[in-house]
Amino acid sequence: MARPGLILTALFLFGSLSFQAQTLTSVEYKVKAVFIYNFIHFIDWPQSTYEYSYDEFVIGIIGGDPFGTYIDEAVAGERIKSHRIKVQRYKSVEEIKKCHILFINTHDPEETKKILDFTAKRHILTVSDTPNFIRWGGMVRFFTVEDKIRLEINNTLARARELKISSKLLRVAIVQ
Amino acid sequence: MHNIPTVFLIDDDTDDQEIFSLAMEKANQQVQCVFADDGIHALEKLKTDTAFRPDFIFIDMNMPRMNGQQCLTEIKKIDRLRDVPVYMYSTSADPESLEENKRLGASDFIVKPSSITELTDILSQILHKHLVAVLMVLFLISAQPLQLLSQNDIAPVRELKKLTVEELMNIVVTSVSKTPENLSEVASAIQVVTGNDLRRSTSVRLAEALRLAPNLQVTQSGSHDWGISARGFNGAPVASSSLADKLLVMIDGRTVYTPLFGGVYWDVQNVLIEDIDRLEVVSGPGGTLWGSNAVNGVVNVITKSADETQGLYLSGAFGSLVKGHIAARYGSQVDSSLFFRIYGQRFDFDNTLLANGDDAHDDWHLTQGGFRMDYYPSDKNTITIQGELYGGVEDDTLSTTVNGQHVLARWTHAYSETSGLVVQSYLERTWREISNNPFTDELTTIDLDLQYSFPLGESNQLLAGIGMRTQDDQTTSFDNRFDPQNRTLNLVSGFIQDQITLVPNRFNLTIGSKFLYNNYTELEVQPSARLAWTPNETHTLWAAVSNAVRTPSRFDVDLSTFYALAPEFRSEEVIAYEAGYRIRPFNLVSFSLAAFYNQYDDLRSLNTSNDTLAPFYFGNDLKGNTYGFEISGTLVPGDWWRLRGGYTFLEKEFEIKAANVFPGTELLEGIDPRHQFLVQSIMDISKRFQIDVVGRIIGKLPAAAITQTPEIPSYVTFNARLAYVFNKVTFILAGQNLAQPDHIEFGTRRIPRSIYGKIEVRL
Repeated sequence: MARPGLILTALFLFGSLSFQAQTLTSVEYKVKAVFIYNFIHFIDWPQSTYEYSYDEFVIGIIGGDPFGTYIDEAVAGERIKSHRIKVQRYKSVEEIKKCHILFINTHDPEETKKILDFTAKRHILTVSDTPNFIRWGGMVRFFTVEDKIRLEINNTLARARELKISSKLLRVAIVQ
Repeated sequence: MHNIPTVFLIDDDTDDQEIFSLAMEKANQQVQCVFADDGIHALEKLKTDTAFRPDFIFIDMNMPRMNGQQCLTEIKKIDRLRDVPVYMYSTSADPESLEENKRLGASDFIVKPSSITELTDILSQILHKHLVAVLMVLFLISAQPLQLLSQNDIAPVRELKKLTVEELMNIVVTSVSKTPENLSEVASAIQVVTGNDLRRSTSVRLAEALRLAPNLQVTQSGSHDWGISARGFNGAPVASSSLADKLLVMIDGRTVYTPLFGGVYWDVQNVLIEDIDRLEVVSGPGGTLWGSNAVNGVVNVITKSADETQGLYLSGAFGSLVKGHIAARYGSQVDSSLFFRIYGQRFDFDNTLLANGDDAHDDWHLTQGGFRMDYYPSDKNTITIQGELYGGVEDDTLSTTVNGQHVLARWTHAYSETSGLVVQSYLERTWREISNNPFTDELTTIDLDLQYSFPLGESNQLLAGIGMRTQDDQTTSFDNRFDPQNRTLNLVSGFIQDQITLVPNRFNLTIGSKFLYNNYTELEVQPSARLAWTPNETHTLWAAVSNAVRTPSRFDVDLSTFYALAPEFRSEEVIAYEAGYRIRPFNLVSFSLAAFYNQYDDLRSLNTSNDTLAPFYFGNDLKGNTYGFEISGTLVPGDWWRLRGGYTFLEKEFEIKAANVFPGTELLEGIDPRHQFLVQSIMDISKRFQIDVVGRIIGKLPAAAITQTPEIPSYVTFNARLAYVFNKVTFILAGQNLAQPDHIEFGTRRIPRSIYGKIEVRL
């Protein structure tokens, strides 16, 4: 007999097939885009991530872009100190050069691990909404409780990569 | 979202880029700017990113490596950009180069202005010329005032940026349609009630929570008794339920209808409303994917996972019909991959009234406790274990003692993003004892299900499953009501379904069949086909043809008091033709229409026999057609107000196939209203005050001589909820069925107007 388990699986497994869902979740990604924009101000990256004062602050998206234009809208014309903010979309890990925030949009554990391995030696804030993201070694996970967005943050890991997360942000998040 | 125009600026001077984007923002904040540092970069981007088609291009005349005019020439060579207006600009206007620009295809020339304001004006003019139409649309969509306690639609990104992180966290981001949709569900009459809709209603119990699905007929026939059906066939009221037997009801994967009569004992189906994630109600046959009883609909109650219900929840409600309801839940985590919750609740309900206004003496109480554990041992595995026990005593003319226990385990394994396995098993025991007319029923169920899904080629997604269920049903009664008293029922079922992408993003076909092997009728095949057309993201049109059966229950075959046994009883069968249309023009409005035409055959009929000791037997001598439609919608007039509701119309025609069919037999099978209307209003008066109303209009029910029930007049009534949220404590005053002192919904008992006060604490 078919079961809700089936529906859950269907959701999980047919993620790539549900074209509709993407547009319908746009409200969610609109808010998440603004969260990511806020991270820029609530987190300090080490000065070494910039070579020159005019270097860009880069927000990267890998594994398909769920945001549409929302991220671009959120950062349009914005600067952090002297750095202009730029959004880059990557097809593969190899394309990533300089990056400060990396939104990882894949639910495939192998792929996620590969991406996280790449970020391991760099000062990159990794963000995702994959359920197991923190356990897999990610830093910031979005999840939804009662239809509202919540954050889970692995601050130990962030500190290890010299990313200073403001207490204002930590206060509203579940911190591991 | 391609309605935000994109402007592509090609300029080597970053200060100019900055000024330009500032001016652009002032001119029209809904423009997205993309920059290129010089002509070479610009062409590289335009040539490699073929999805990039800006609405306007601005080119600086003087750039290193490649000047503006060369760049213009190259751009005009790219086919998809031929019609994109290109504006050239420079610090000075040279008449010769102006002519040249025009010849090369530039739309206009701008002299680089000295101030941002001046540039803003120029850009406004340009944008305005092209964007009047676009802006009109944008205005309609985005000119909604910003409200934090929003329900569905929210402000544009630039407004959201002004909010604090805490405020961002208060925005409701999921909506009705966010609910998991796979393609087969898109092509069905699915309606979803979200956890939030439930918590903002006055519902204390699951049965009344189902009232919020406008495609269900939900009737209360006594303090503990409910009859629930979809698309008709809400069978005659019987003790603690109704004879409604064409609905499949599942709670977290556990099928809860009883093989005793194919219906659901709604008194013992309870969940903590606080922990419900959503109710999914599909009207129409879920024949392919779902089991044997899904003839007229499927109700899926899905509770949240343990990691979503962390922390302490306490509530206490006290009032008139709801004499007392106390509930507690505590959720915590053992480590980062293991979460659990434990919960308990107790209901005390007061009496309803008899038709003459006397006390019906049907007060009752029930206590329930349970747990759920979700374990994520590795990346690809999820293990859920949940269990529950309950016990209660229901007073009535025949008072009843009930209890039950169950435990369920489910393992979900993902091989990849598109293939996976689900294994689920549960064990359940239910007990029901009527004391003053001795009858007991003990049902033990063991169930095992496997589902496997995998892609086949580019456009096929297959889903196959097999399930086995053994149910041991033991009855005792002084009059040998069921013969044999005990039965062991074995059910083997399998299904296969293929979701075929005919045209990506546009046409999808789902075909499949369910195979069912049961003790009574052996093999049953239930095929179906569903086609969905999604011309664009806002519209979905679908159509479906399905065949489904309701296999015999013990009530049909084994009932012996005054009835001749009916070992020849066959499955009831339906062929359902459905079509629907769903539209979501923007986030503030959604609307869905589903129409159906069902042809039933071999429906149960009450037949008369010549045997004076057993004057009746059940035959399959009724056939009929039903048709109707269901409209439902959601409207968010302001971000502080959410309206949802629906209207259902149902018409039925029956025909008897044998001369000895007892007259009016169709009324034993269903007593249904033609019209049904529901509206729910969820309103945040302020950040702290909530006023919520659920109103319903139910058409009259016909008199049924066969069950000795009079005609029940149509009625209008409403529930209201006032809440004050004070940090972690919510104070609630709720009223149910407020429009009249009492009313009859089903059968003969009067449901009184009632109120209760409630306090909720969430820590």
